[in-house]
Amino acid sequence: MSEPILSARRLSKSYVSGDRRIEVLCGVDLEIAAGESVSIRGESGSGKSTLLNLLSGLDSPDGGELAWAGASVHVDARAKFLGMVFQSFYLIPEIDALANVLMAARMIGAPGAVERARAKELIARVGLAERATHLPAQLSGGERQRVAVARALMNSPKLILADEPTGNLDERTGDAVIELLLGLCRDTATALALVTHNASHAAKTRRQLMLTAGSLA
Amino acid sequence: MPWYLYLALKQLFPTGRRFPFFTAISILGVSLGVAVLIISSSVMGGFGHKIREMTVDTQGDVQVRGDGLIADPAAVQAQLMKIPGVLATTPFAEGAVMVIFNLKPQFPGMQGIDVNHITNVIPLQQYVHGGALAALDDDSIILGSQLAISLGARVGDTVEVYTPLAFEKLKMSKGDEVLLPRQLRVVGYFEFGHQALDGSVALVPLRAMQNLYGLGRAVHGINLKIAPGLDADAMADRINAALPASLHLRARSWIEINQDFLFVLQFERNMMFFLLMFIVVVAAFSVTSSLLISVVRKTREIGLLGALGAKPRQVAACFCFQGFFIGVCGTMVGLGLGFGVLHFRDDIVHVFTKLTQSEAALLRFYQFSHLPAYTDPAYLVATIIGSIGISTLAGLLPAWRAAKLKPVEALRSE
Repeated sequence: MSEPILSARRLSKSYVSGDRRIEVLCGVDLEIAAGESVSIRGESGSGKSTLLNLLSGLDSPDGGELAWAGASVHVDARAKFLGMVFQSFYLIPEIDALANVLMAARMIGAPGAVERARAKELIARVGLAERATHLPAQLSGGERQRVAVARALMNSPKLILADEPTGNLDERTGDAVIELLLGLCRDTATALALVTHNASHAAKTRRQLMLTAGSLA
Repeated sequence: MPWYLYLALKQLFPTGRRFPFFTAISILGVSLGVAVLIISSSVMGGFGHKIREMTVDTQGDVQVRGDGLIADPAAVQAQLMKIPGVLATTPFAEGAVMVIFNLKPQFPGMQGIDVNHITNVIPLQQYVHGGALAALDDDSIILGSQLAISLGARVGDTVEVYTPLAFEKLKMSKGDEVLLPRQLRVVGYFEFGHQALDGSVALVPLRAMQNLYGLGRAVHGINLKIAPGLDADAMADRINAALPASLHLRARSWIEINQDFLFVLQFERNMMFFLLMFIVVVAAFSVTSSLLISVVRKTREIGLLGALGAKPRQVAACFCFQGFFIGVCGTMVGLGLGFGVLHFRDDIVHVFTKLTQSEAALLRFYQFSHLPAYTDPAYLVATIIGSIGISTLAGLLPAWRAAKLKPVEALRSE
């Protein structure tokens, strides 16, 4: 296995609900190699999204260590290191599809001609060249998710974290989005951590993990 | 352009969509406030400017008076004319009199003026109607327009004038003499557009006033005109320094003479500006409320921005800039609206007075058919900075709320 681009050791997280402390993650160990695709499955409430939030640095673990490409997690590095795809797409409704893709580049500096060309190329690769100037409200669910995938790839990240990206899509559209996501990650040698309920989608990744009782197996 | 500026603009003016309602209402609120500020401060400024103009026109730039009378005005005038910056001088004498016409008495102040030289200092001829300043001789009088109305005297009528000197003489004679008034023919009216002057001042030649008051060649003071662009206060100081102390004369600028009145004018204008600024403050509250709603509505988007790598201060800047842009747009629209109304102010007043049938009253009380307006650059700058500043501040609370949101919680929100 090559050098891991993400390394998590003994990550733990708990929440307090009323007078009860709920242990969601208890010592999760995970390593993802460059270009590797990993799926994480688990029951609802098993802590899949919590794990993804910890891996993305959006939330802090109670214990354990996390490293991105061998370095400690820093919020400033997130925009370049990570791309994220969510179940609810989260496109910015006031700007068109192309501008949504370009938004990821804006986060790390004013986009120039190179970035604009890459955004156009990505929009074309997700099959939306003709709809680049359409607002999110004018796109279908599948199209929106494809825009979100293009946005996640915009800054050429090392890792994409996808949190149930097909959860709001019908089966056929969901399959197409997963194929697209896996294909793009393979072509660009980008690692992928895919959280999903769908066993057939999970099976398409190189490594399949189950999150049970707060641990990965 | 930084992303937070870009997004602030896009959230206010989205791509390919018509003007959003919330943006339009917020901008309209600020622009109405700015327009009202511009219109009221300009009209107040116009009145103030007119009053200042009229004050200089009736008094000259600088006035020289002594402890008592100036016994040899010609010598003092010659000395004054040697001072650099003094363009012209004119002496005057003044005092209270009783004027009677058709058994109607009035008690105006009477000014004796040097008919041949007064126009070098005071542009009196432009205020004289129904006659001419040149027609004023030792047996005639020019009445203030309101005074003439009060007396019922017209041009060509003869009024009777009694002075304190006449009464004094009568008292000294112990009843041996008969009190005869001085009879003066009305040769015109003057109208400065100021009730206090038009209703209580009459003009006669200096020699006639000196005779009426028994002054000999003496005068009460000398009015001066100074070169354009010179500061009247500084010029008064220069004259005081140049005049010998033995003459016991003191020069005062028109600003110093009228300082209480000018203070009231300025205070009134400042207070009105301050109070009207609250319209912008109220509009700013609507901006705050709209942006707060926007923060709540866009909670998940704010979470996404965090997930994409946005820092809390950048998220705050995004909402703060929305307040700023609303302020800039509202101010620009408000300036356009305000100056537009000022441009058509006379037509608007005309329509309003026609509708309310108050045209005659307006002319009677305000003596204008043309609404004056003067936009003071200082007030203009204060309006622009104030309204943009207040609108930007209006974005602070929503910005703080947005910056406080944790991405992970924002993304989870329903």
